[in-house]
Amino acid sequence: MAKTDLYLGLDVGGTHTDAVLVGETGLVSHYKAVTDHANLLRSVRGAIEEVARDADPSRIKRVNLSTTLSTNAIIENKLEDVCVIASSGPGIDPGNFRIGRFFYEVDGSIDHRGTEVKGLDQKALAKIAGEAEKKKIRAFAAVTKFSTRNPDQENAIARAFEKISDFTTFGHKLSGQLNFPRRVVTAYFNSAVWRLYNQFADAIEEGLRGLGIEAEVNILKADGGTMPVAVSRNIPVESILSGPAASVMGIVALCDITRDSVMLDIGGTTTDIALFADGVPLIEKDGISLQSSPTLVRSLKTRSIGVGGDSAIYVEGKSVSIGPDRKGPSMAAGGKEPALVDALNYRGIIEYLDVAASRRGITDFAKKKGIAAAKLADAAFEFAVGRIKQEVDAMLDEIRNRPVYTIHEMLEGKTIAPEVVYVMGGPARAFRESLENAFGAKVEIPKNFDVANAIGAALARTTIEIELFADTGKGTLLIPSIDVRRKIPSGYTLKDAERDAKKLLEEHLSAMGVQANADSEVIESSSFNMIDGYYSSGKDIRVKCQVKPGSFKRLT
Amino acid sequence: MIKAKNRMGLIFFPAYDWAISPSHPEREERLLYTQDQLREEGVFDIDGLVEFKPDIATEEDVMRSHFCFPDVESVTTESHMISAGGAIKAARIVMDGQVDKSFALVRPPGHHAMKSVHGNRGFCNINNEAIMIEYLRDRYGVKKVAVVDTDCHHGDGSQDIFWNDPDVLYISMHQDGRTLYPGSGHFDEMGGPNALGKTINIPLPPETCDEGFLFAIDEMVMPIIRDFKPEIIVNSAGQDNHYSDPITNMNFSAQGYAALNEKLNPDIAVLEGGYSIQGALPYVNLGIILAMAGVDYSHVREPNYNAAMLKQDPRITDYIKKLKDVVLGVYFNPPPIENLPGYGQVMTRRKNVYYDTDGIRESQVESIVRCRECAGLFSLETYSTVCELSLGIEIPMNACASCRKEGVKLLNSAKKSGKYGTIQVIDRVKKEYYRT
Repeated sequence: MAKTDLYLGLDVGGTHTDAVLVGETGLVSHYKAVTDHANLLRSVRGAIEEVARDADPSRIKRVNLSTTLSTNAIIENKLEDVCVIASSGPGIDPGNFRIGRFFYEVDGSIDHRGTEVKGLDQKALAKIAGEAEKKKIRAFAAVTKFSTRNPDQENAIARAFEKISDFTTFGHKLSGQLNFPRRVVTAYFNSAVWRLYNQFADAIEEGLRGLGIEAEVNILKADGGTMPVAVSRNIPVESILSGPAASVMGIVALCDITRDSVMLDIGGTTTDIALFADGVPLIEKDGISLQSSPTLVRSLKTRSIGVGGDSAIYVEGKSVSIGPDRKGPSMAAGGKEPALVDALNYRGIIEYLDVAASRRGITDFAKKKGIAAAKLADAAFEFAVGRIKQEVDAMLDEIRNRPVYTIHEMLEGKTIAPEVVYVMGGPARAFRESLENAFGAKVEIPKNFDVANAIGAALARTTIEIELFADTGKGTLLIPSIDVRRKIPSGYTLKDAERDAKKLLEEHLSAMGVQANADSEVIESSSFNMIDGYYSSGKDIRVKCQVKPGSFKRLT
Repeated sequence: MIKAKNRMGLIFFPAYDWAISPSHPEREERLLYTQDQLREEGVFDIDGLVEFKPDIATEEDVMRSHFCFPDVESVTTESHMISAGGAIKAARIVMDGQVDKSFALVRPPGHHAMKSVHGNRGFCNINNEAIMIEYLRDRYGVKKVAVVDTDCHHGDGSQDIFWNDPDVLYISMHQDGRTLYPGSGHFDEMGGPNALGKTINIPLPPETCDEGFLFAIDEMVMPIIRDFKPEIIVNSAGQDNHYSDPITNMNFSAQGYAALNEKLNPDIAVLEGGYSIQGALPYVNLGIILAMAGVDYSHVREPNYNAAMLKQDPRITDYIKKLKDVVLGVYFNPPPIENLPGYGQVMTRRKNVYYDTDGIRESQVESIVRCRECAGLFSLETYSTVCELSLGIEIPMNACASCRKEGVKLLNSAKKSGKYGTIQVIDRVKKEYYRT
């Protein structure tokens, strides 16, 4: 038999580290261990070693990794000092966006057309460089307003620190999106985790070599796609908050999703929710927030609510509710206070661990509250289902009410009507019937859902989004995030731009070493006639192009 | 993260697929750079500032304010219904308590659209603010509203619609009509016999600067508003007083617009004109939004702002100071109307209206009953180059028994006469709006 390819997926989560090895015919092996937060590297290496123990390492073609390293570094504030140099021009006072201990505002200004209005204060830059050198700062972030329309000033800032920097984040390379405050935050985080992340990447690559694995290594992003590890070394911030995306991509890999659907991952503490339109997971319009700081990091649209198997039960008067908190484990698992799974045990919907303990707990609690035990258990379960339904409806509402900017979208815009609910997580089976009734939709529970996250990571393909901005009056074309800048003729059209965006995106992907990926698609495209006084001054052309999240292989 | 002092709703509808014509000032890209600026500034990330999708106005919403001839569908497009719906949404979110204030950045504009509509004039078909205000009254029982129109052009449409309404204070500050379209807005235009002094015009000389505008707000607009005590203040927020506007001659700045809104403190703002789409709108809109939200706007400035160039000529300052007494007099002590009929008698007004965008000529005869008890029965006979003789009848909010009875009588005899192509009826007492 010919040697078939194997794919290794790894999800380092808050509680568990999951690893899977996937082959042509399905799941080959899986491994689960408690995450060692003090030594993530050990968790990762251990999991890889275990899951690949019986495999021929030369067959492993791809290792995809979802890690909390950057997220934790930011949350725990284990960050390197970064010198942030921001130039904003007129607008909201940039002092509002101070971040880190070394934040400098420098005079200079670029307007919304990308025209330089005021040159950079070079003297100030030289002075800051002197101070940074004295303070031994080696990581920098260069951010100017409208740098996605003209990156010159960011480039000039970086040049001023060239001699003393190990690394500089250029704001315009993070995203084509317009949002100066998010650019500042994202650039800062990126530089602040850069060194730590690169050390981690070095160690992973070295570890894989040690195991004889010569696979291509990719890192999972919050948008459910991957990036090659070499790319991730310059944009480590893109690796934050990829955990929920791993679960969503797991469902994509395990089920043949083609219609509008809902995904529910019902865990011990929370239920994570994601939505699909025509089988494609929805992406958040703006970037994800970390530590209540909005960033430019693209992410799937997911929501987490405090409904899980261990959610505590509350009774107030006649009304029964659960969560959003938990008070330790359920009584079935040796806890002291009744939780949702105890209610399910009581009603015989499940048989989970110590059923007698659950029965006892629910009976005592109901007596204390003066309510019938069966009624209490039913009400608790009903509340959980109701709360999930309510949150899904809120997400759908939000999508329905999302602002649009053309008459066409206003009148013809797509709405989402879920036809299938995919459920995973420990209590998934117990919820089947109630969810079917609540949603009036088919409920599907994939097998292997307990390692869906690692499977999702293993089979996720590379994603990318670029924004092209062309001004035929100035004769310029820019794709800031992939550093494309070129001249265009005055007769350049929207069609040319759409073609070039796709071509340049694909060239960029192959330069990154990404092969056999999904097709790119144009997702937004517009062309405006600009008029200066009474004369046409060219066209303002904008094209957004992406490779959407998806699995390169299905395990259905 | 920046936190807004006032919870603020933005209804941003740039209608990127709608233009009057490809090179017309009212074209697709008009709000493009504003959106770029607002996004780049991170305005939508401000805590307490939320973006909303517009409603789509219904025919009834339009018929509550306008007599459309021959009907609503003939004189509007979807863009107008969304723009008016944007204003309605702005009002709803304030009234429902979702936000403290709101700003509808919608196009096309509306303040040149009059009571009777046969087509487009001054880039406007239907009047967004009027439609919004009648919605507020119909659905929320609001009575007294003040509209302060800060567009550079006189809001002749809004003035026309509220001319006989004693419960809407309409104040327009604009470039003197002797020097700019539409030519009206003299301070002696003060409202109809039942609403005298509730229409206030503040015609400002060309090249009025921040100083003059803010003086007008402090010394004329605010004292009148304080006396009128409206339940809701609306800013009809045209942005063509800006020094860079290509079709006007004023010297107002983004800082000035922001300061004006801080002083006026409107509940709702609705975008009107403003055609310096690159040099003014991005900064003026940013300034207005921050000022309304109660966020520091002191760093908002046009890239080419030059304080010395925008210093007001002392002669202009003197002129505006003199204007103050005249304007306050219109409100506090309006001079008697010539040929004022007795109570219960009808006063008529003839008007010829030219629809510059569509090239339509309309002739109107307006009749209002001078009433001691209510705002008075109103009717309007009209014909135009595109529409046969038609009639509009309005029974006002809180109409007295006599005006109600006269209204029904008028409708019946009009129907019987058979001389009108269309009859439009606004019955605010029964909340019925229909055509026969």
